[in-house]
Amino acid sequence: MVEDARWPQGPLMLAPAALSQLHAALRDAGYRVIGPTVRDGAIILGELESATDLPFGWGVRLEPGGYRLRQRDDGAAFGHSAGPQSWKEFLHPPREKLWSARRVGGAIDIEADDEPAPRLAFFGVRPCDLRAIQIQDQVLGQGTHAGSPYAARRAGVFIVVVNCTEPGEACFCTSMGTGPQAGPGYDLALTELAGADGHRFVLDVGSPAGADLIAGLAAEPADPAVAGRARSAVARAADMMGRSMPADGLRDLLARSHGAARWDDVASRCLSCGNCTLVCPTCFCTTVQDVTDLSGDHAERWQLWDSCFDLDFSYLNGGPVRSSPRSRYRQWLTHKLGTWHDQFGSSGCVGCGRCIVWCPVGIDLTEEVAALRAEDLQAGTESEQP
Amino acid sequence: MTVRTAATASWAASPAWYRVSWCQTETPDTVTIGLRPVDRPIAPYQPGQFTMLYAFGIGEVPISISGAGAGPDLVQTIRSAGAVTTALCASTPGQTIGVRGPFGTDWGMDSAAGHDLLVVAGGIGLAPLRPALLTALAAPERYGRITVLIGSRSPDQLVYAGELSGWRDSGARVQVTVDQAAAGWTGHVGVVTQLLARAPIDPAATIALVCGPEAMMRPVARALCDRGVAPRNIRVSLERHMRCGIAECGHCQLGPLLLCRDGPVISYQRAAPLLAVREL
Amino acid sequence: MSGIPPSALARHAFVAGLPADYVALLAAAATDVSFPAGYRLFEEGGPAQRCWLIRDGHVALDMRVPGPARLLVETLGAGDVIGLSWLVPPREWQFGAEVIEPTTAFELDGPTVIAHCESDPALGYELIKRLMTVATVRLHATRIRLLDLYGRTPAGTARPHRQLREG
Repeated sequence: MVEDARWPQGPLMLAPAALSQLHAALRDAGYRVIGPTVRDGAIILGELESATDLPFGWGVRLEPGGYRLRQRDDGAAFGHSAGPQSWKEFLHPPREKLWSARRVGGAIDIEADDEPAPRLAFFGVRPCDLRAIQIQDQVLGQGTHAGSPYAARRAGVFIVVVNCTEPGEACFCTSMGTGPQAGPGYDLALTELAGADGHRFVLDVGSPAGADLIAGLAAEPADPAVAGRARSAVARAADMMGRSMPADGLRDLLARSHGAARWDDVASRCLSCGNCTLVCPTCFCTTVQDVTDLSGDHAERWQLWDSCFDLDFSYLNGGPVRSSPRSRYRQWLTHKLGTWHDQFGSSGCVGCGRCIVWCPVGIDLTEEVAALRAEDLQAGTESEQP
Repeated sequence: MTVRTAATASWAASPAWYRVSWCQTETPDTVTIGLRPVDRPIAPYQPGQFTMLYAFGIGEVPISISGAGAGPDLVQTIRSAGAVTTALCASTPGQTIGVRGPFGTDWGMDSAAGHDLLVVAGGIGLAPLRPALLTALAAPERYGRITVLIGSRSPDQLVYAGELSGWRDSGARVQVTVDQAAAGWTGHVGVVTQLLARAPIDPAATIALVCGPEAMMRPVARALCDRGVAPRNIRVSLERHMRCGIAECGHCQLGPLLLCRDGPVISYQRAAPLLAVREL
Repeated sequence: MSGIPPSALARHAFVAGLPADYVALLAAAATDVSFPAGYRLFEEGGPAQRCWLIRDGHVALDMRVPGPARLLVETLGAGDVIGLSWLVPPREWQFGAEVIEPTTAFELDGPTVIAHCESDPALGYELIKRLMTVATVRLHATRIRLLDLYGRTPAGTARPHRQLREG
């Protein structure tokens, strides 16, 4: 973590009530605060009117194809893992008007969009989700995309990360190198301690903006023992993952596996429903829709989320290139874990486990990868035999 | 006629407005149009690149640029296949069309200099190849022998039919073959690989530019490899579904490639393993 | 037939790799010919007793339909073989052939070549291999042409009950 002389030396400590002050400081600084909150039987991401909107005392029980809220007995605010949404709802919205235009006689006017990009504060970003945001930055906000609406929204975002001490049942961030400790890129980081020793937050500063925001907060330096417990809790979480997906050589494995029999196996289960692409925090595919009113003189172009599982996603000259569900599942997984490296220089997977939880038939990509590795090994062994 | 563009209009999302200056009917379903910018033109383009053309209120499609930029017009050839292309084909002089681009990789006319140029086109695939050919014919001292082999469905489906004699006069060896002849046709009848089999080429000195349906490009590329042309010297123009043109929407993926950014022109050396995978 | 020097025939791609004594046999059954543009080599239904190895030129195969026009089936040029029907029953031309551009060729006498093959199956095999290649290439090309790849809806890609989406 890059440090600055202005920043507080070492971690600070906050009582749960201080979260409200943190929230207020963000509001006063002009941010709309987005964070986890309970709604419709899930922990979703919504605007927090106050820190009490956080899901204190709520946890989740996860399994492949299953998600349920449960009550916690420790009152933790962040005692849950990834819900159905990710921060891409706000940085890369499901529906966005790109531009509108009016035709008057022979002239066409692009209509000005005077609304400035909202300043958002993300309150409660998991380390895996922070990496996911950075992966989407690479795809949508950098290089030739530097002037895009995504880049404009992203530039103003304030990030409060929450380190993980209790992995969810579907998590495997350790395998993907994205958690449970957050990497650089946050403004503030919280580590929650909730239990018999009391409910506190250890706060780390990660940027000048973070240092400035908490300048007015009544936050004391954290007791070294408490800070130590917080660090240990996060370190222990790394060994508590319920599944793993060794990431070595995945790009090359998938490049070799186009003809694998495993794809037929998963295709017999996959419904091509696209849930995985909706909940995945790095999936970014969109389509463009041109619409007009009845007069034909007012036109708009909208950008909408799209999914490679959609049959017409690869439509070309009379039919889709990827017409079989087999080819579409193969495309999704090969892209996420393999060709993403070729296109964007990293893996597309952060180990959040959402695709496993929200697949209606419980397809687990860590199992699929293990099966592909086994098949690849078998094929390699057979080809070496005389 | 005025066009005002809002100061906050997005970096690449909104089109530059062009006016149709002329239309040329090539075949019953194919039209070439000349476009002039109303205000700001798009950036300079290279043979092989494409634009996204927008028919107001209807939609946008990727269309290869068919001119070499020598004149004042942006020249694009459109084949009617759906709502947008039909609207573009029906456009009239004075009509406003949106243009975004140029996008994609080009045929590499600079790196092809010093070589014999073999242009192999199938059907509408001649449209993206035309600017490469015009560029070479305008600077023949930079290139060796220029050969153009064209496969067409029938004589009346041949695009740029009126230009072929001019190309021959400029020094290109041009041969056309049709799948189906019509009364009075005295040219070749057969597929373009049959023309290729009879064409005298120096494989070691040849850069081949190939464009057409994938089922045509594959046998042509294989035949070229069998003749001894190195796969890295065979350049193909591939196509996949495109929506944004700016490597953001994910539609145009072909394995590790995003064709709007890493293509459409790629070497056959890179393309061959990708084209060999069904439903990639 | 008058026979030609084996060295002349040996230059044609069709006999590449053929042992010298077989080349000599075929050369003895061959005639050096040239035809002006417009010359009709054979007509549909006629007895197929010859074939030609084109050295240079342009020949079209055609078929008669009611009316003045003839439908062009395929065109052949330098290096190509004209005539496959001489080899197989009923030994009748299935198409007509017209010279489009002045053409030079080696004309082979069908019955003589067949007799040589009957008495020497090894020669027969060599000729069949080469003619099979010619036929296979034309079959492949014909199948591709039937797919109508340059058409608006290449074979099998039309979706009759759905509005085509722009792509």
